[in-house]
Amino acid sequence: MKLTLNWLRDHIDIDLDPATIGARLTMAGLELDALTRLDQGLEQIQVGLVETVEPHPNADRLTFCRVRVNEELLEIVCGAKNHRPGDKVAVARIGARLPNGQEITTGQIRGVTSYGMLCSVQELGLADQADGVLILDPTTPIGIPVAQALGRTDVVLELGITPNRGDCLGVRGVARELAALTGYPMRPLTTTPVPVTAPDAMARVHLEDPNGCPRYAGRIIREVKVGPSPAWLQQRLTAVGLRAINNIVDITNYLLLDLNQPLHAFDLNRLTLPVVVRTASTGETLRTLDGVEHHLTPTMTVIADQQRPLAIAGIMGGAESGVTETTTDIFLEAAFFDPITTTRTGRRLELHSESRYRFERGTDPEAILMVMEQATRLILDLAGGQAGPVTLVDGNTWQPPATLWYRPERVNRMGGVELTPATMNTILTALGCRVEPMDATRFAVTPPSWRHDLKLEEDLLEEIIRIHGYDQVPATLPLLPAAAPLPDPMRQIADRIRIRMVGMGYQEAVDYAFVAPAWQQRFNPELTPLTLLNPLSEEQSVLRTDLIVGLLESAQRNLNRGNHRVRLFELGRVFLPQPDGSLVEEERLACLMCGPTEELSAHAVTRSADLFDLKGDLEALLPDVTGSEISFLPGGPPFLHPTRKAEIRTTHGVALGWMGQLHPQMADSLDLKKEICLCELHLPRLIGLPTTKPRHQPGSRFPGIQNDFSFLMPATTPAGAVIQTVLAVDPVLIRQARVSAIYTGTGVPEGHKSLTLNILLQADDRTLTDHESKTLSERIIACVTEQFAAGLRG
Amino acid sequence: MLEELSLLHTTTLQELTHANSLDELETIRVKTLGKKGTLTQILRGLGQMEPTARSVLGTRANLFKEEFAAALGMRTEQLKQTQLAKRLEREWLDISLPGRPRSVGTLHPVTRCQNEIIAIFTAMGFPPASGPEVESDWHNFEALNIPPDHPAREMHDTFYLPPGPDGNKRVLRTHTSPVQIRVMEGQQPPLRAIAPGRVFRCDSDLTHTPMFHQVEGFMVDEGVHFGHLKGLLESFLMHFFARPLPVRFRPSFFPFTEPSAEVDMGCLFCDGQGCRVCKKTGWLEVLGCGLIHPNVLANVGIDRERYSGFAFGMGVERLAMLKYGFGDLRALFENDVRFLARHG
Repeated sequence: MKLTLNWLRDHIDIDLDPATIGARLTMAGLELDALTRLDQGLEQIQVGLVETVEPHPNADRLTFCRVRVNEELLEIVCGAKNHRPGDKVAVARIGARLPNGQEITTGQIRGVTSYGMLCSVQELGLADQADGVLILDPTTPIGIPVAQALGRTDVVLELGITPNRGDCLGVRGVARELAALTGYPMRPLTTTPVPVTAPDAMARVHLEDPNGCPRYAGRIIREVKVGPSPAWLQQRLTAVGLRAINNIVDITNYLLLDLNQPLHAFDLNRLTLPVVVRTASTGETLRTLDGVEHHLTPTMTVIADQQRPLAIAGIMGGAESGVTETTTDIFLEAAFFDPITTTRTGRRLELHSESRYRFERGTDPEAILMVMEQATRLILDLAGGQAGPVTLVDGNTWQPPATLWYRPERVNRMGGVELTPATMNTILTALGCRVEPMDATRFAVTPPSWRHDLKLEEDLLEEIIRIHGYDQVPATLPLLPAAAPLPDPMRQIADRIRIRMVGMGYQEAVDYAFVAPAWQQRFNPELTPLTLLNPLSEEQSVLRTDLIVGLLESAQRNLNRGNHRVRLFELGRVFLPQPDGSLVEEERLACLMCGPTEELSAHAVTRSADLFDLKGDLEALLPDVTGSEISFLPGGPPFLHPTRKAEIRTTHGVALGWMGQLHPQMADSLDLKKEICLCELHLPRLIGLPTTKPRHQPGSRFPGIQNDFSFLMPATTPAGAVIQTVLAVDPVLIRQARVSAIYTGTGVPEGHKSLTLNILLQADDRTLTDHESKTLSERIIACVTEQFAAGLRG
Repeated sequence: MLEELSLLHTTTLQELTHANSLDELETIRVKTLGKKGTLTQILRGLGQMEPTARSVLGTRANLFKEEFAAALGMRTEQLKQTQLAKRLEREWLDISLPGRPRSVGTLHPVTRCQNEIIAIFTAMGFPPASGPEVESDWHNFEALNIPPDHPAREMHDTFYLPPGPDGNKRVLRTHTSPVQIRVMEGQQPPLRAIAPGRVFRCDSDLTHTPMFHQVEGFMVDEGVHFGHLKGLLESFLMHFFARPLPVRFRPSFFPFTEPSAEVDMGCLFCDGQGCRVCKKTGWLEVLGCGLIHPNVLANVGIDRERYSGFAFGMGVERLAMLKYGFGDLRALFENDVRFLARHG
């Protein structure tokens, strides 16, 4: 909401400077968003008198003029030709700056020196284009700032008005607020009605939709002269960003801004009385002033005549019944339209207007007659005409704000203040409320007709401490019991995972919860994701059913930007539609790894990360955060490399998730040139697993025996199975079996591999004898060779 | 014998001097003083000699032995020093080379900021709570005193979803305030919690992403008042930014609080003098808050006469940008590893 200082002073007799006024309003909830001087950029431009105009000696399109500014006669070369001797013009002298920042310097123009510039409205920053230099009113005094000559001496305040304070969407409303805050007096409005000079001009109105329009006033004014508004009115409107149109339209716009009452003027000769306020009929259409054709429904209120709708109530008038240059008689409307009906209609039609904005927030139903009189007076003053009597139709469907009560004791208790009832009542009275004692503890309060937001005791509490000043409320800390809350296992495990993942070199990613349906479909074709009804774009239109889609997109982005080494993890929710139509939100962990294992350096062995890097990280992570041992079994989703993927389960068989390398075909189709390793895990399943990881394993004091065994076996024999077999030979004495080397090549037959196991034999209570060790070794060799068609390698 | 000893003396000491390795020294030592060493032989032979000659030869031989030991020791030490010096030279490192690259991960700046906020409020006795991101219209709006035609709905550019199996409207939550409703629905006061989480609004430009993060907090108990809200939030901001800051509470409007306030703190970048970041006002808007609206308490069955409460909400990204100083909001969700390394 924009208003100017002088405009505000029409309503309140205040001598505070605009910055102070802005600060007071801000601290009362009407936030000052901007404070702009209208003469900004024009400070150095003055009014001059053109004394002579001659053609430029060397250029046909230029003129050479002598311009008087006070005592000086300036020689100026000008590109325009519309000025004549005796004209008053805007002169920027040497050293002056134009609003666009350009500084005027002495210049040689085609061999003639120019000592300044004559400005056009465009150069003054007042219009987007201009035709010649600006010629001012001939009575303008020479030498005064051009801003003064143009009436641009005011200051514009831009206020942010919250939705509950519709009453402050007019300048007078802001003035009322300021009066309550500062004690400066309001200036009274003229209330005497305009004399009716056309008593036969009856504005006949039928109110058929009292719910959509609780109150409606109409008046006919005949023989108006439509034309441009006077300078003061045009200046006010342009100062707050409106375009002047003609005197009648300008007056309705002005009063909308001034008194917060939208008005509409119809061309009386383009409608057939009586005017009917009714609901629209199915199939009716109306082209509004903005040129858009709207299809109306019976939920909407319209202003109509006998044939057709003329306006969408409270939102916008029709294109065909508006005031034009040729209008002579008008039908002026001032009404109170229902906020909810207006909101619904406006949303439905996606039609915004200053009028809708105000009716939605609630206007003052008691003010319409007063505003009608103000409007009539202005019209008669500026456009002439004969006013008919006012027709007021009341639907009796509105109520003035109800009386409520408040307890000063409760205001003090909830506000954390210590104010006397007298202070509180003074504040409420200053805001226009009527306050009367009710009983020993309560006061009855009747809010003014413009305050629809005061309904509860708490609303009055806010008014009291707001005007008293939030900054006056002492800050204290609440005293709380020293009870520790129960830990949240989901948050705990998420925190532990984050610490681990960061320690292992992963960077945490955060992706949008919505993804492209085509992507999601490729990775999770069985599940139909939930689709947003109003997505911002197709790329962000479905709720993700897994995390890796986002991580892969991030990987793509990184690789495209030349970031070759990517280690990302994300903890976040996926949205899983259930067969019954309900939705399950599940927390997941996903990781992605690609690129070299280390950054390039003199020390590094550069190698591309592979699935065993990821597996190693998971083997470090999962037992630590779950307390449970895990296993990797064949399986995993189809978008992974068929022989490079695994299901991750606990040793008890609980499925936790999967890991694997992205299928080469999938990688190709996503234009990912690198080997990408991924995993995704269900976070809730990681919680509350049985502890199978030994908490404490005492080491034996007796020396163990380590031996290497190399077996020849078919190349696809899983080493994991061999290890399990070895450990099963003697679960007590065989402490550890690790693969220390895998070899294929010279000496190993085609289709075979040499698998070297490093095996630790150890007892808790004795040193093993050579005999024991030898026997065990023989049993190990026997088992492995037998079960895996293996042979011992020399 | 004496000449023999004298010759041995001369040659042995010469050999010691010329020896160039510890191995050579050891050879000389064994040759001279080993079991069958030359000097050992002489000393051993003393027993069979007549006393006079034995006395003379014995004295000389023992002197030689001492001299030999000293010389051997000295030469050993010399050679060790030389050897050490050579080794140290050989072991020269170019310490200007960078160390082996450690790949250290980073938390996302939003997580980092959220964790800081959670830690402060947990310490103040406000434990974290959570709720669904797909919310019912009731929890996201109606229970919070935002009826269907309320103009405030226009302030929340809501993402809508098809209705659930119960036919109820579903939305992506536009704020974390519904968690307040969920906590209050299940329990009676005293209640305190914060609700960190993702929220969604269909708005995307330089300063808006369609997803962002909020932390909501609230308290309901007997005697909770506006001064408590001021005290708590002032304390929070001071801890979060680790310095005393001017804080002001400015009346505002939220449908779910009454009275409502917006909280500004002195601009961090100009110390309140006015700059580009604070739009020359000297203040930065960081929080919204207020006393919980009586309709909200009534909606969850809390006695609004007996209890009162406050609630507040803050944008995590905004606080993170102010504290960690990064400019582009949208970069937060692009997951560029260089950005994450710099700001995580």
